[in-house]
This record gives sequence, C-alpha cells and structure tokens, in this order.
Amino acid sequence: MENAIEVSSLTKRYGHVTAVNAMSFQVARGEVFGLLGPNGAGKTTTIRMLTGLTKPTTGTAKVAGRDCVRESLAVKQRIGIVSEVSNLYNEMSAWDNLMFIGELYGVDKPTRTAKAKELLKVFQLYERRNNRLGTYSKGMKRRVRIAAALVHNPEVLFLDEPTSGLDVQSSRLIRLIVRELNRKGTTVFLTTHYIEEADELCNKVAIIREGRIIAEDSPEKLKASLQSERILEVAFNKDVPGLEALLRANGSVVDVSRQGAKYHIHTTNASIVVKEVAQLASLNDLEIVSINTKQPSLEDVFVKYTGLDAVQLERLELLGAAKVGVRRGA
Amino acid sequence: MGKALCIAKKDARIYYFKPQIFGFGILIPAFVYLSFSLGREIPPDLLVPGLVGMVSLFGASSIEGVAIPIERQTGTYELLQIAPISTATIIFGKSLAGIAFGIVLSLFTALGSALLTQSQITSPLLFVIGVVFGSFAFSALGILVAAAIRDMPTVTISLTALRLPMIFIGGVFVPIHALPPWLSLISYLTPLTYLVDALREAMVGPTMSLVIDLIALAVWFAILQALAAIVLKRRTEL
Repeated sequence: MENAIEVSSLTKRYGHVTAVNAMSFQVARGEVFGLLGPNGAGKTTTIRMLTGLTKPTTGTAKVAGRDCVRESLAVKQRIGIVSEVSNLYNEMSAWDNLMFIGELYGVDKPTRTAKAKELLKVFQLYERRNNRLGTYSKGMKRRVRIAAALVHNPEVLFLDEPTSGLDVQSSRLIRLIVRELNRKGTTVFLTTHYIEEADELCNKVAIIREGRIIAEDSPEKLKASLQSERILEVAFNKDVPGLEALLRANGSVVDVSRQGAKYHIHTTNASIVVKEVAQLASLNDLEIVSINTKQPSLEDVFVKYTGLDAVQLERLELLGAAKVGVRRGA
Repeated sequence: MGKALCIAKKDARIYYFKPQIFGFGILIPAFVYLSFSLGREIPPDLLVPGLVGMVSLFGASSIEGVAIPIERQTGTYELLQIAPISTATIIFGKSLAGIAFGIVLSLFTALGSALLTQSQITSPLLFVIGVVFGSFAFSALGILVAAAIRDMPTVTISLTALRLPMIFIGGVFVPIHALPPWLSLISYLTPLTYLVDALREAMVGPTMSLVIDLIALAVWFAILQALAAIVLKRRTEL
C-alpha cells in the first residue's frame, strides 16, 4: 500500500542556516507519526514544507500521493493543518469560522453544515457555537482549530504542537480525538516536544535535532534499544557536595543526572551499583530515603539521542511557551 | 470565483466596520475635500467627478490596506495560504472586498453630490461603469501597498502619501488643462486622472475619450493586481 507521506533528502536553508538537513522518512497510511525534538530543531519547517507552505531548498516530499511543490493545491485539498498558533478569525463565531473554511475547501453547504454541527458536538463546543472566537479560552480555540481542519475530511492531519500550553482537560480531549480519528483511518503527523504525548499517541517516532533525524522507530523499539541499561533512582536524606562525581566513579555507571532531590543513575549492572550506593551512603553518613530501578522511558531515549538533560528540556519547553505568548501578543 | 467571493464576503464582514476604515477611507477624503472646496465656487461638472473619484480612491484602497496587515500580523492570512486556493484567487477575492466598498461609497457620494448641486448625469450607466473600473484599479493599489509593507501604520501612511499627490494632480480640484504642462504630463501616470476624466465625460456627455479612460483603468488594474500577487507571494512565503 502507498505511504501517506514520503520524504526524501528534504532540506531547507535560510541563508547560511540549515533548518532541515537531508531528512528522509515514510509514514504509512493510518499511522500516527510523531516528530519529536526541542524548539528550533526543524519540526515546524518540516511541517511547512510537507503542507506546501514553504518550498524546500532541495529534496522531495509527497503527501497523499501528490508532490508537495508541483501539486501543492492537490496536497492542500487532502490535508488538514493545525498550527501551534491560532489562525482563525476572532471576530467571527466558531460556527462561522467552520462554515468559511468549509466553503474555502469547496465543501457544499449541506455537507459543511452537518459536519460543523458534528465536529462542534464532538469537541464540546456546540453550545457556544455562536459566540465570537475572541471570547474563547486558549484550549477552546485549539479545539475549534482542530475541528476546522477536519471539516473537509482530510486524509492526513498535521498537528503542530497540538497540546502545547493547554489545560489538562483540553489536552486530554485532543489526545482522545486524535486516537479516535486514527482509529477511523486518518493518518496523523504531529510535532511535539511533550515526550509522554508522543509515547501515548504515536505508532512511530522520529527524534530530530538541528534539522536531522537522529533516531526513528516505534516508541517501544526505541525504549528497547536502551534495554541493556537500567536506571537506578535514588534519593538521600541530605545533599553532599560532589556526590554526583562519586557516583560516576563506578565503572558500571553510564551516566548520572539529577532530577529534583533524586539521582538518576544509568547503569549496565544495577546490582553492583546498588551495593556501591549503599557503601557510599554509609561512608558519607547518608540515609537512603528511596531506591528504585526503572525501565528506560521515551524521555530517556530522547535525552540519550539529543544530549539534553531533563532541566534543559524543561527550559526549552518554557522557552517554547514564551515564544508562543510573544507571537500571540504581537 | 466561488472561493474568491467567499474571501470577499468574509473581508466585508470583518473589516468594513473597523474604525480604521472609517478614518482612512471616509474621514480623510471628506476633510481633504472640505478644506479645499469650502468658500470656493466649484462648477458641478468638476465637483461631482472629482469628489466621487477621490472617494473611490480612498474607499477601495483602504479595505485591504487595513485587512492584509492585520491578517499577516495575527496569523489569519495563513488560513488562506493553507487552503487549496492559489495566491491569484486570494488576491482577487480580496480585491472584490475593496471594489464593492469603493463602488457603494462612490455611488452614494455621487447621488448625494448630484442632488446637492442639482446637477444631472447625462449617462448614468457609463458613470457607474467608470466607478466600477476605478474601484478595481484602486483596490489593487491598496493590496499592492499592503503586500509590500508589513505593519498597518506604515501601510496607511504610505497609502496616504501616494493618494494625496494623486488628488492634487488628478483633476479633482484643478482641471488637468489648468495644470503646468510638466505636471499635467505626470498626471497621466496616475489612475485617478483617468477615473475623474471618465466620470466627467459620463456627466457632461461621453466621447471616445471615455473609452480610452476605461482601457487605461483596466490596464492599471491588471498591472497592480499582477504586481500585488507577485509581491504578496514573495512576502508571505517563508
């Protein structure tokens, strides 16, 4: 069966800066594919090239069997796009926005009326359909945006950071709807820097950094690639300067990172390290408050491949939220 | 055509009643005209075409001069870019919004000024055709300026800087033949000159000159529309 998305050596340069560097991947029909990476990694540029909004410098991309450059209008007719920042009209109601978009996509009036009604009900917005969009919360606007991208029944749905900066209820509803859409056969391509989201939703994930794919597989296989490692999570009753260096000194310790009061010790031999930790605690007059072994998560995979630690990840996410705020305020 | 109309309807609904349109599309031409005409005896065949031409220029060019910068700033222009429609269709739809506004405003002005001066329009149909052609050209002018410049204050200032000299040399207050020869030559490089002349011809009795005026306005529209499409595509593609 033909792939929903086929990308070959896709590159985008802005002057001397290479935003996307020779990217190649395929997304099978009916798959949920996640492009995972920190802000500035090239996720949005990739989506813009796949949706015909930006011309690649070199390389080719096909979506729904059509070339993204030569047949961009045919591609646009077959896809739905939900960008990170709302691009709907605040002066119009949710209903009028959906009807306008339906008309732009050439959906006849009875069909778009029925579809808008159905979608607004699914997204729990039907009661407020006649209110101006400007009066909606951020989460409600995002839901209308997704509904708007579905009015013409797209084959492929592109979601750029679908739940970024949203409240828990809206995020949960959006994830639920993405799963439901996929169950009905829609191919979903999403970018996110929320690792749990990619783990929960995607059949396949590509991790990118500086415009390059550095790992690509199913979340389970990516996690399995770190199976030789175990993570020992230890919390002590107090801080000792240089403890991290002492933990690293052990030959079977691969890496040590600190997350709050806990140390995450990546090791190839957990039983030796447990003994070492107990010895270290005794020598330094420390009490072990808790100690657990963990399976590697997708976040651990992400950290391994991107080289970013949890604190850097958190900073990047905050930076992303701040950028969105500035763009909205502009 | 259906998709262009859909864009035009949306723009009409959102932007016709924006305060900026009232200010830059209606108040400024009204004040300019009053400040130059009050206390002067202006014959109706100069007043009516001049006033209607000026209103058409300001009205038709203001809509997209306001709409496009707002849409580019708020990101709503992207909604049109991601839809399966060409840039030419987007531009044409946007032109239609300015054209309709220019036509309605101009015809109301024509009716009011003709009634006030108790003057007659010899060929009302040709007068309306002139207004339509003029609104097409001026709407495209508004889109071109809005496409070339990103923020709204600079767009409105630039549009005003273009429109005011056009008024002074376009036969609105002073007939072209009364201008110094070098200035009258320059006046033929602006679309307003052809509209004012076409409207005057329709008012006093049309000659072949009106056909030339209409052709000139159509050429202006085609050039401005094509330039607007090129510039907007370049400026909005990342």
